[in-house]
Formats: sequence, structure tokens, C-alpha cells
Amino acid sequence: MHFALIDTVLELDDSRVLAVKNVTRAEEYLGDHFPGFPVLPGVFMLEALVQASRRLLERSGRGEWVLGEVRALRYGSFVRPGEALRVEVTAEGDGEGASRSFKGVASVIRGGAAAETAVSGRFTMRPPRVG
Amino acid sequence: MRWMWIDAVTAFEPGHRMVAVKNVSLAEDHLHQHFPGRPIMPGSLMIEGFAQTAGILVGATEGFREKVILAKIARATIEQDVVPGQCIRYDASIERIDSAGASTRGTIERMDHRDGAWVRIGEVEMMFSHIDQNRAGVAFPEENFVFGENFRAILQASGLDRFLAKEPHGR
Amino acid sequence: MPMARPEIESGVREVLCDALGVDADDVVPAARIKSDLGAESIDYLDIMFRLEKRFTTPDRPFKIAQGELFPENMLSDPTLVENGKVTDKGMTVLKERMPHVDFSTFEKDRNVANLSETFTVKSLIEFVERKLKA
Repeated sequence: MHFALIDTVLELDDSRVLAVKNVTRAEEYLGDHFPGFPVLPGVFMLEALVQASRRLLERSGRGEWVLGEVRALRYGSFVRPGEALRVEVTAEGDGEGASRSFKGVASVIRGGAAAETAVSGRFTMRPPRVG
Repeated sequence: MRWMWIDAVTAFEPGHRMVAVKNVSLAEDHLHQHFPGRPIMPGSLMIEGFAQTAGILVGATEGFREKVILAKIARATIEQDVVPGQCIRYDASIERIDSAGASTRGTIERMDHRDGAWVRIGEVEMMFSHIDQNRAGVAFPEENFVFGENFRAILQASGLDRFLAKEPHGR
Repeated sequence: MPMARPEIESGVREVLCDALGVDADDVVPAARIKSDLGAESIDYLDIMFRLEKRFTTPDRPFKIAQGELFPENMLSDPTLVENGKVTDKGMTVLKERMPHVDFSTFEKDRNVANLSETFTVKSLIEFVERKLKA
């Protein structure tokens, strides 16, 4: 599997990004999640928010950013093969130390139109800390 | 990529606590994109490892009768990152269960073979929903697809297959 | 010794900040749990569990039964809700079971889609206070 959870960026400015992830049966891990009921794993929705936030972080400089914290991330609708995830991430400002806070919301795109919320919550990104 | 983010269960107190480990290895494809030349275990996949540990714990408490799905990450903090060669340990406990769902919390630790010490690197609080109770209008397959072959294999390999017989554990 | 109102308010505020990821400044009595603080389906269960944990003491467990804090299953009863509106019987049941909620504005329109608007931070404070006194 190629670890790319964003397929297209629709809109991008200094504080907001709108992007899409397609979900396809060709993604092999769906065979395990779940057998007979393939749905995009919740943590991959989170990873899509994280990868979208990197598009915003890139605008203000180089550097690697990883997930530091998640707060009140609620899951709603499932996203199935043939559907897509519409991801919207907004910058919320600088957190403690060298961290950046974001708010993320993603909805299912079904039949070409955005429908129910699939996930929403807050997260922060920070530089990697490897021991 | 197989969707299994734990390797073995190392401790299990039915209805209360489960500890599982995951090794991180350069053999894993996705690490070569995250990031090229600097492999780091993605935080979202560590959260999944914790979710699988806590999810099996909740599932086992109910004899795997309920379809247990991650519903909310109330809080997750990842203070330090993990690189190939290191090991991760997820220690999850049940706080509360009712017919609608369960809340769990616990820690994420890292160990490096160079010194063998476990160091806490994160904390998680997450909730699971019993989807058969909560999703009116969605048709789910009858069988419990959440706890499929891979989970059974891990429980068997960890010597815990007696919990696969559908006995609920009282709390 | 009964817990004083300011302490109850502070406990409810902590619970809502932890459960909903909102700032303490946003948790004012008039704030609606759903529209102002952004609560979603799973959050109601989380709020319930956290209130139990926050207000339980060694001598006195604080346990909330299903349907005691939020109306939940009541709404699928056809004698209580008809054509998307709460019936007279439904209003009586709501007021009896949810004395911690102010239904005066809701009663004028009774549209079940707006029921979640009635739950405010104040409703939760009232709930805890009543339950601790009981």
C-alpha cells in the first residue's frame, strides 16, 4: 500500500485546505477491514486530516511534521469503496512549543455530492522526536 | 498491507485490561513513504494499535457477540516517535461499558533493543460503539466481521483462544 | 455534605471541556450542548460516563441510567412523537423524566428535530444538582 491518504487538493490557502480521498476496493487492507464489510478505517480518516494539514504547513516552510495530539475526534458515517472522503482542515494557531493546531472535518461524498460527516475533531502537529 | 496493528497479546485480565505489542520493521512498506529516507511509525497507526488492543478487550468482555467499532478518540497524545527496530506496547483498560458502548483508556510505550527499557510515549482515551444497537437503518452482515481471522489468530498465538468461546465476562 | 453549586458548575465544565474539546470560556450556562458546543451522537454517552466518574464518591456512586439524562429511546415511541412533533403525552413524559431541562420554548413548536436545542450546560448542572440532593 502506498501511504498516501490525499488524492486531490481542491482548495488551499494559508489557513484552510479542502481535499479528497477516493476509496477503492483496490486498497488491499480493506479486505481485513472488515471481511465482507469494507469501510475506510477511522484512523485513515485521521491520517487524511493529518496529510491535508501538511499541505498547509508546507506553505510556511520546510520541515517534517507528525501527529502530536488528537482531541475530541468523533466518527460518524462509514465511507465505502466507490465513495470518497471530502477533507477540510483549518489552521487554529500555534500550540505549545513548536506545535500547530488544526480543526478537521471530513464528510462522505456519495453519488458526487457531500453527505454526512464521517469524522470531526481537533489535532496538533509537531516536529518528530525520535529517541 | 494487512490491517493488523498488533503482533501479540502479552497480558489479559478479562473485563479489565489487555496489553499488546507491535514490532516496527523496515520490512513494512509504508515506512518508506513516511518519510522517504527517514522512516517513522505514523501516529495514526499507533492509535490504531491501541484501538485494536482496547477493541479486542471490549469484544472479549462481551464474548465477541457485539460488533465493536471505534467511535471517538477523546484524547490521544504522542510525545515521542518510534522508528524501525523499536517495539511498541499498548496497555488498555476498560473504564465503563454499557449497552450503547464502552470507554477505554491507557498508554503507549516504546522499547529500544539497545537498552531494553520501556518508556511511556503516549496516552489514549477512546470510545467504542456497539453498532448493532446504534445504527438504525444500516444493514450489517449477521456475523461479527469486526473480529475476523486475524484477531482469532493473534488470540490463539497468545494462548488466549479459550476467550473465543462466546462466554461473557462479568464486570 | 452536599456539594455547592459552584463546585457542580466547575465539575460540569471540566466534563464538557474534556468530552467536547471546547474551551472553558465557551462553557456558559446558556450554551446549547449540540449547536454551541458541537456535541455529536457518541458525545452524549461520553458526557454521561464522565459525569458519573466526576461526581461519584467512595460513599456514594453517581450512576446515570439510560434515558435519565438525555431522552434517547423515548423518541421512537409513536404515542410520544407523531409526524415529527412531540404529542401532548410526549410533552408530559418529557417534563416528568427530564425535570432538569427547560422545555418552555420547545413546547411552542414541538418539532422533534429541534429537541436537542433544549439541552444546555445549565440542564446538565441542574441534573447533577438534583441527583446529588436526591
